[in-house]
Amino acid sequence: MASIIKETQSIKEAVVLINGIDSGKFPRLLSRILQRLHLKAERSFSDEEEEKLQMALSLEKSNLHLVIETVSFILEQAVYHNIKPASLQQQLENIHLSPEKAEAFTQIWASSGQESIEKFRQRMFAPKKLENIGWQLSLQMSQSSQAKVKSPCAVLELGINSEDSEDSEKMFLEFNHNNLLHFYNKLETIQSQLDSLT
Amino acid sequence: MAGAGKTAAVPPSVVHDRSNFLGARIPTEVDALPKHLQDLDKEAFRKLLRAVVKALEGEDSRESVRKIAESGVVPEERMSYIIAGMYTLLKEALRLPLSSLKQEVFKEDLRDLRRAELEAAAALERPQLPSIVDFKWRVDVTISTSSLARALQPSILMQMKLSDGTAYRFEVPVSKFQELRYNVALILKEMNDLEKRSVLKIQD
Repeated sequence: MASIIKETQSIKEAVVLINGIDSGKFPRLLSRILQRLHLKAERSFSDEEEEKLQMALSLEKSNLHLVIETVSFILEQAVYHNIKPASLQQQLENIHLSPEKAEAFTQIWASSGQESIEKFRQRMFAPKKLENIGWQLSLQMSQSSQAKVKSPCAVLELGINSEDSEDSEKMFLEFNHNNLLHFYNKLETIQSQLDSLT
Repeated sequence: MAGAGKTAAVPPSVVHDRSNFLGARIPTEVDALPKHLQDLDKEAFRKLLRAVVKALEGEDSRESVRKIAESGVVPEERMSYIIAGMYTLLKEALRLPLSSLKQEVFKEDLRDLRRAELEAAAALERPQLPSIVDFKWRVDVTISTSSLARALQPSILMQMKLSDGTAYRFEVPVSKFQELRYNVALILKEMNDLEKRSVLKIQD
């Protein structure tokens, strides 16, 4: 397959640094970065953690950043192309990563790659998303205009969360038996559409 | 039971301990009948009823129906609603053996259907939370994103307009949708159980 990592100057520098990292410590670093790859808004490591890493890997701050960014980039490309482990290994050797580091990448990718891809799949970006569903059913006995009512009444609570902000809205919907049945039939129609996709 | 299937109304579970002769679910066409019969010319009503009865007896009543339509007394669309409603109503009534459907009972049930209309109007007067006035949806399949060349992930977009004038548009992940569907089905089941129980136990 075509190369997914172009050997730029920045990559060359990073490769040198990565090759110099203690082989015993490398897999854990990889694993951690892969786990948090789909959380695009957050950094892989906090400030404290970065300081500890600097010490553990004997890397200066800027070099550590380069390493983290490059490893992240490689993994993101792997996710994007849904690359096979063997292909990945080849590509890493092409950019002159040492055999053991390439091996480490391949191992992690083979074991946790699909999981990561799935996380990305689940992450649709939408301005607003339905996150919570709650409900309550009551039997209405009477009201100001009627004495004996006895009609079941359901309230559906839908929690909608906004992508960018912490805002969340709550919709409260009321249904009687009839309305709820109509609503359910529409949901069934949607379901049959989903079924026809598979 | 006359299967109008998916869209049917539930008659008020008041007064009687037995269910309406039409069953627990009133077919849509019958439910709509009171509305369409309002202000209907008596003679036209009798003619339509006669035509429907003839049809139920197996005779061809197309000619009579055509005549009524041509007279222009009843607009055609309304006529089709009325005929459909009458047909279903009488068909169901005639299905039951004479012993199980007495004239009084028949009259009572017909009155109940009328009451359902009135009650629906009264229901609008009570304090209530918004309900869905318009519900639109679509199913999308994401083919690729900036993170995945081949995503192929379905999702649902819903748009709801509520009775208080507000509108919401939001995406529903497939897993959340399943949860929603499951919960709505659960509430419906609970409602059914509640209605059965209230007919049997709660005395007026």
